[in-house]
Amino acid sequence: MKRILLLMVLAISMVSMVFGAGSAESAKPEATKATEVSLWTFQDIHLPFYEKMAEKWNEQNPNRQIKLVGEVLPYEDMHTKLLVSLQAGTGAPDIVDIEIAKYPNFLKGDIQLAPLNDLIDPVRDNFITARLDIYSKDGKNYGLPFHVGAEVIYYNMDILNAAGVDPYKIKTWDDYMAAGKIVKAKTGKPMTTLEVTEHWSFWPLIAQQGSDLLDKDGNVILDNDINVKTLQFLKDMMNSGVAIAAPGGFHHAEEYYGFMNDGGAASIWMPMWYMNRFTDYMPDLDGKILILPMPRFTENGARSAGMGGTGTSVTLQARDLQLSKDFLMFAKGSEEGNILLWEDLGFDPPRWDVWDDPAMNAPNKFTKFFINDDIFGMLLEIKDEIMGVNIKEKLPAVIDRLKSSVMIQSLQQQNKTPYQALKEASDLSR
Amino acid sequence: MARIYMGKRKMLGKHVLLIVLCCIYLIPLYSLTLAAFRPGRDLLRYGITLKTLIPTDLHLETFRGLFTIRDGIYFTWFGNSVVLMLIQTVLALFFSSFVAYGLSVYQFKGRKIVTTLVIFLMLVPIQILILPLYKLMITINLIDTFFGVFLPMIVSPFAIFFFKQYIDGIPRDLIDAGRIDGLSEYGIYFRIVMPIMPPAFSAMAIFMSMQSWNNFLWPLIVLRSGTKFTLPIGLNTLLTPYASGYDLLIIGALAATLPIIIVFIFFQRYFISGLTSGGVKG
Amino acid sequence: MSAKRIHTSMQIAPYVFILPFIASFLIFYLYPIISTFIMGFQQVYPGQVEFIGLQNYQKLNNPEFKVALFNSFRYTVYTIALLIPIPLFLSVLLNSGNRNMNTVYRSILYIPSLVSIVVAGTIMRLLFASSTKSIVNTLVVFFGGEARQWLLAGPSQAMILLLVLALWRWVGVNIIYFLSGLQSIPEELYEAADIDGASSFQKLKRITIPLLKPTTIFVTTISIFGGFAMFEESFILWAGKPSPNNVGLTMVGHLYNKGFQEGEMGMASAIGIILLIIVFSLSLTFLKMFGFFENEGRR
Repeated sequence: MKRILLLMVLAISMVSMVFGAGSAESAKPEATKATEVSLWTFQDIHLPFYEKMAEKWNEQNPNRQIKLVGEVLPYEDMHTKLLVSLQAGTGAPDIVDIEIAKYPNFLKGDIQLAPLNDLIDPVRDNFITARLDIYSKDGKNYGLPFHVGAEVIYYNMDILNAAGVDPYKIKTWDDYMAAGKIVKAKTGKPMTTLEVTEHWSFWPLIAQQGSDLLDKDGNVILDNDINVKTLQFLKDMMNSGVAIAAPGGFHHAEEYYGFMNDGGAASIWMPMWYMNRFTDYMPDLDGKILILPMPRFTENGARSAGMGGTGTSVTLQARDLQLSKDFLMFAKGSEEGNILLWEDLGFDPPRWDVWDDPAMNAPNKFTKFFINDDIFGMLLEIKDEIMGVNIKEKLPAVIDRLKSSVMIQSLQQQNKTPYQALKEASDLSR
Repeated sequence: MARIYMGKRKMLGKHVLLIVLCCIYLIPLYSLTLAAFRPGRDLLRYGITLKTLIPTDLHLETFRGLFTIRDGIYFTWFGNSVVLMLIQTVLALFFSSFVAYGLSVYQFKGRKIVTTLVIFLMLVPIQILILPLYKLMITINLIDTFFGVFLPMIVSPFAIFFFKQYIDGIPRDLIDAGRIDGLSEYGIYFRIVMPIMPPAFSAMAIFMSMQSWNNFLWPLIVLRSGTKFTLPIGLNTLLTPYASGYDLLIIGALAATLPIIIVFIFFQRYFISGLTSGGVKG
Repeated sequence: MSAKRIHTSMQIAPYVFILPFIASFLIFYLYPIISTFIMGFQQVYPGQVEFIGLQNYQKLNNPEFKVALFNSFRYTVYTIALLIPIPLFLSVLLNSGNRNMNTVYRSILYIPSLVSIVVAGTIMRLLFASSTKSIVNTLVVFFGGEARQWLLAGPSQAMILLLVLALWRWVGVNIIYFLSGLQSIPEELYEAADIDGASSFQKLKRITIPLLKPTTIFVTTISIFGGFAMFEESFILWAGKPSPNNVGLTMVGHLYNKGFQEGEMGMASAIGIILLIIVFSLSLTFLKMFGFFENEGRR
C-alpha cells in the first residue's frame, strides 16, 4: 500500500510541477503597467503594422498602455484553432485577423465576436461601407477591413519589352489574349499564371462582369452562364500556352515566388494588396513591374473588382474588451491607421476620406519598386469600377470547393469541363 | 560443392539488394541533414535539389536559428515535448501494468468481458473520438493544458494487452509465495511482480515515449498557445507561405529527429522487443 | 493478516486493479462514442443545438464523402498489398546469414518509423517539390519522363506519394513483426524439409507462410486500422490546405474539416460513426475469420 501511495504522490507531484511551472510563468510581475493584448494573424506581413500602431497608441494614450503580443499561425490552422476556441469559450486571442473566405463560419450560431457598431457609427460615412458590410450580420459590424482590394494587373516590362508588346494598348481581354500569344511566340514565356488550388484567378474576372459566387441573398450562383464562360476562357488561355498553372498551385506558394522572381511569366492579376508580395518576396523584380487596371470584358465593362480581405475582430473572450476594441478601431479605423495601411502595406485603405491626403501620392517603398509614379492616382481613376462581391454563409463551402476541385479539375487536370466542374461544386454547396 | 556455390551467390544477391534498399531508405534523412544547413526560403522554392545533396557550401549559421528565431521558441517546444513524454509514459506504464496484473492474475466476475473490451478498444482509432473528446476537454476545462493532452492516453489498451501477456508468463507459485509471506494483494504487485517487470517496462516505455513524442492530431486540437506547443505542433505552424519560419522548420526538424535516432542506436533491443513481445502471440 | 481478510481482499482487489481501466473506458471511450452517436442526429452550433434526425447522414450522400471513403479504402488496400509481402520477403532474408549485418539492415529500415510525421511529410514535400530542379523531378527527367507538380498532378500521383511515405515509414516495423514470427518457427521443421529435399520456395510456401499466419493477421489488422485512420500524412503533405481535387482527402480528414474547420460538429459525428462501424466490422470479421478469438479463449 505504501508503494502505491508513494507512486501516486510521485505522479501527482510531477503533474503539479508542470502546472506549477505554468502558473509561475503567468504570475510573473509585469514590468510596465501596460495591459497585454493578444493578437493572432495568419499573415506575417500584418504584424509589423499592428506593432507600429500599438506604439502610436501608447504615445497618445499614456494612461491606457498596451503590450501587443502577436502570433502568426498557418492560415487553415489559425482559423481552425480560432473556431474551436470560440466554441470552447476559452483559448481565443483578444484580437484576430479572419480571412474573408472563412468569415461566415464565425457568424453561425451565437456569435462569439464583439460588435463594433458603437465605435464605427460616428465615422461610418467615411468608410466604403460595402467593405464593412462583409463582416457583419443583422446590422451588427464585427470586423474592420484592411483594404478595398481593387483588382489590378501587374506586368513584367522586361518580358513585354522583349516581346514588343505595349501594355497600354491592352484594353480588353481579347487584346490580352492576343498579346499573350505574341509574348509566348517571341519569348517562350507564358503571359500569365493561373491559380489552380485557389480562386484568385477566377473570382475577380466574374466579379468584373457583375457575376459572383453567391447572389445578394446568399444563394449559390456559381454555375451561371457568365461563370462557365469565364472558366472556359481561362481554360483556353491554358491550352493556348498563354497561361500556365501557377507553380505550387497558387500565387502565394513559395515555389511561385521563386518562379516569378526569376522572370517566369509576363503578368499576373491580383488585388492591390499583392504589391507587398512583390516588394517582400520577389526583390529581383525591382523596377520591372508596371501596375495597370484590368482589361475589360466589354466596351464599357468594369476594370476592377474588390477582392479578398481580412476582417479584424475582437473576440468576446478578450480580457479587456473595451481596450481591445478601442485599439482595433485606432489601428484600422483611424485616419492615421488608414494612411499607414497604404504606406507600409500598400493596401488601398477602406476609409475614402484619406484618399486625397497628400501622403497617398507621396513616394514610398511601393512607388520606388514599381514603375508607376502615382500608383494611388491610377487607383482613383478606377474607383467607380471596383465591383463588389457577396459574402454570405455559404461562401466558405463554395470557396473550399473552388480551391479543392473546380480549378484543378477544369484547368490543370481537365478531366471535367468548366460546366461540369462548376455544376458539381454548386450542387455540393447548395 | 554446387550447393555452397549457389548459396554464396544468393548471399551476395541478398547483400546487394539490402544495401541498395538501405541506401534508398537513408536518402530522406541524409537530405534533411544537408537541407538543414541551407537557406529555408530557397528550399521551399526549389525543393531538395541535386545541389542540396552535395555537402559543400553549408550555411552553419542556420543552426543559430534554433536559439534566435522567435527568441528560441524551439527550446520551449522541445521542453514541452520532453515533459509531456515523461509524464505520459510514467503514468501509462503504471496504470496499464496495474490493470494488466488484475486481469492476468485473478479469476473474477466480469474478467472475460473486460479482457474482450480491452481487445476491442485496441481497434478504436482515437481519431474517430477527437470530436467528443474535445468537447469533453472543454467541459472539464482542460483545453490548452498538458493535462488535456495526456489524460486520455494514460490507460492504453495496447499496453494493458502487452503487460497482460507478460504477466501471464510469470509463475503463479511466485505470487502464492507472496501471499504466504503475508503480503497484501497490492503488496504482491509492488514487491514481487513489479521488480521482475523491468524488461517489459523498458520495452513499453520506449514504445510509449515514441508515441507521445510524435503524437500529432490530438495535441494539435488541444493546444492553443504557441508557448505550450510540442515539437510536431510547433514545427507544423512553420509550414505556411504567409510567414517566414522556414529556416527554423528545417533545422528544427533535424534537431527533433536526431535525439530519437541516437537513443534508438543505444537502446535498439528495447525498441524492438516493445513492438514484438506483446502483439503477435495471438 | 487473517485468512478471512485475505479472502475479502482477494475479492475486492481485482476490481481495484481494473478500476483505472474502467474509469478511462467510461470517460474516454464510452462517453465519447455515445456522444458522437447523439451528435450525429443534431445540428451543433455554439449555443444552438437542434435535433435534425437523419439529415446529417443524408447530407453525406455526396461526391466529397464518397471520395473520402474511396481514398481511405484504396489507401488501406494498397498499404496492405505492399506492406505485407515486401516486409515478409525482407524478413525471410534477414532471418538467415550473418547476424551482425542483419541487425544493421534491420535497424536502418526501422529508423524511418521513429521520425515524426511532420518531419517525414516535410522531407517528402521537398523531395517531390514542383520545381524542375527538385531531386525527384531531376531523376524523372533523367529517366526520360516529364517533370511534374507531384502534389497537384492527380489522384494517382497523390496516392504514389502517400504510398512512398507509408513504405518508407512502415516497412521496417512490419519486418520486425515478421522476424519475431519467424523466430518462433521451430528450426527442426526446416531441417526435416531439407532432408526431404524441399526447395527454398517450397519451404517458404509450406512452412513459413502458414506458420506466420498469426503474425500476418495481426499485421493486416493494424494495417486496416491504420489505413482507415490515416489523416496526418495528407494533412502535412498538403500543408493543411484542401488537397487539389480532394486527392488526399480521407475519412478522418473529412471529419476534421467538417468538425473543426467548418464547425459542423453534427456532420462530423456522422462521419465518425460510419468510420467506427467500418473499422470495427472489418477488423472483427478479419480476426474472427482467422480464429483469433478461439485462441484467446483457450488461454
